Amino acid sequence: MVDLLSPTFLTAVLAAGIVAGIPLLFASLGETLAEQAGVLNVGLEGMMISGAFVAFVTALAVGDYWIGLLAGGIAGAVVSLVMVVFCIRLGLDQIVVGIALVLTAEGATSVLHDIWYSRSYPRLPNVEPFRIPLLSEIPVLGGSLFSQPLVVYVALAGVAFAAWAIRRTRWGLELRAAGERPDSLDAAGVSVVRTRTVAELMCGFLAGVGGGYLALVGAGTFVPFVTHGAGFIAIVIAMLARGRPWWCVLGGLLFGISLSITTALQVAGIAIPVDFVEMLPFISVLVVLVLFVRESRLPSALGLPYLRGSR
Amino acid sequence: MSKSRVLAMGLGATLALGAVAFPVAAQTEIMKIGYISPEAATDYGWNQQGLIGAQAAAASIGAELIQADNSGYGDPGPVLGQLKDDGAQLIIAQASGYTTVAAQFAKDSGIPVIVFDQPEMTAADLVADVATNSQQGGYLAGVLAAHASKTGVLGIVISADDTNWHKQAGGFVAGAKSVNPEIQILQAQVGPAGYGDAEGGKTTTETLIAGGADIVFGMGDGSSFGMLAAVENATPPAGADKVMFIDVIGDKTPIDAKDVLLSSVLWDFTGTYTQAVADIAAGTFGDAGYTLDAANGGISLLRTDNASDEAWAAVDAAAAGIADGSIEVPLTATQADVDALIAQ
Repeated sequence: MVDLLSPTFLTAVLAAGIVAGIPLLFASLGETLAEQAGVLNVGLEGMMISGAFVAFVTALAVGDYWIGLLAGGIAGAVVSLVMVVFCIRLGLDQIVVGIALVLTAEGATSVLHDIWYSRSYPRLPNVEPFRIPLLSEIPVLGGSLFSQPLVVYVALAGVAFAAWAIRRTRWGLELRAAGERPDSLDAAGVSVVRTRTVAELMCGFLAGVGGGYLALVGAGTFVPFVTHGAGFIAIVIAMLARGRPWWCVLGGLLFGISLSITTALQVAGIAIPVDFVEMLPFISVLVVLVLFVRESRLPSALGLPYLRGSR
Repeated sequence: MSKSRVLAMGLGATLALGAVAFPVAAQTEIMKIGYISPEAATDYGWNQQGLIGAQAAAASIGAELIQADNSGYGDPGPVLGQLKDDGAQLIIAQASGYTTVAAQFAKDSGIPVIVFDQPEMTAADLVADVATNSQQGGYLAGVLAAHASKTGVLGIVISADDTNWHKQAGGFVAGAKSVNPEIQILQAQVGPAGYGDAEGGKTTTETLIAGGADIVFGMGDGSSFGMLAAVENATPPAGADKVMFIDVIGDKTPIDAKDVLLSSVLWDFTGTYTQAVADIAAGTFGDAGYTLDAANGGISLLRTDNASDEAWAAVDAAAAGIADGSIEVPLTATQADVDALIAQ
């Protein structure tokens, strides 16, 4: 049985939780933007796995994880164009198109992986962490919270910016209006289609970056179906966070750290059935978000296509 | 008596006489063998090992192999039907999840199938089940790991709640403890069905290494590539200069760029599938199931240069003990069984 309280072990548990939580943070933040604009992006998993694959291919080719993440984000945005065209522009069912998008992306990346990498299964080296001076010297927290790849801190800055922009800017007001009262936004002379399109592309980009992070930092490789349902978990987090970006951070990290604690409990040999232990991440996220975000609600026009003049 | 009735009676008598006089001629000569597996047969694991066995069986009788790997984990019925249409006279259904559908297919079509992990499905001339004594390979891996470990801490990572993983994990624990009863063994499961969860495989393995494990026994399909990435990039725990990995089913040596592969519990289906083809010819297919074990070469340990001669000598001695019955490897079909074995 391992010493649960040894600094090395605690640091590893916390760091693993952050690694697992960051892709969810990116993807749920993107989903939040889309949902605020009225688009239920069920295809998030497809955008994540496309981003994971393209980020992996790019990072492997150029040896730079920043370029890999950027490529992953662009791939996610390109995939989100399917939602833009079929759902936002043509008004088709967002759930049906989203599911089709997931299945297509999973199949396409699986086939491409089979063609290019199924005989070599290349792996990537670890991404060097950015150690925040002084803070990274703190026992346990320093080696985990304050010694992460730089993109983690960029993500947190992005959340702060998104939280501010949604509540304090004209763009944020238009975004929320597109999800709450698209007809009013239209009457005010702002294009609902354009507002939703921008939100959806941002969602795709963030989901792609999240998938890229999962492949480059989390797994260190790409295998078919590597996202393993992370996109759907991110949708749940976003729906429970209900438009509040900081709650996406909480949901993502809570899920990741709970996942990591399940491993720690097993390693420590604590006599709890594994099946029960593995429910912990899902239960913890549901309980916390349901308890503390009850007062907020989802946009009224979420999932509904907007066609000018129709009722 | 009409003329047609006389002809019919004559024909019936001729057929009956032929069946009595030439019973072996009633058996079908296998010209085509079908192979269906859920993932691509390039995985250095289950799907690839199955294909290698199927190719060997086909080659042994000069038959053609019809390959349908990467058929997914869903309903294999349509692919089985396609293999039938393509002329397959024996089908290897290389997934325990295919067993129920494949066994029914055999009864409906009359085409014999090889299935997994459900011995009760075995049916004369139609269905033969394959089981594994994979715990024996796990035992040998445990002996090797206990000899190779510098920290005295071993790690077991399994991707899913899978009987074969539990069997090998239990064997590993027993083997390691046979060398050093005080050895510390840490274990964790990636998820209920995390076969393809490479991220989970990597982070779980990193946690075990942080707990002091310098040898990791990993079982995981796609997830195992995450485990391998974790071992390749690991900072060795105190007392060790390197972290090593023991894989299962296949041989990942060709992709072991950083030379971290200590060994692998190999599953070789060649003997089983070749025997199945011979049994069809002899008319005994489905009279009994098949078992992969250390004695028949179905289960073995990959030999590498990353362990000492002393360690390999101990493995050889253990293998001999298993073969002659002097070592009995415990069978742990569930996680609770493995937990109990570790706690002993």
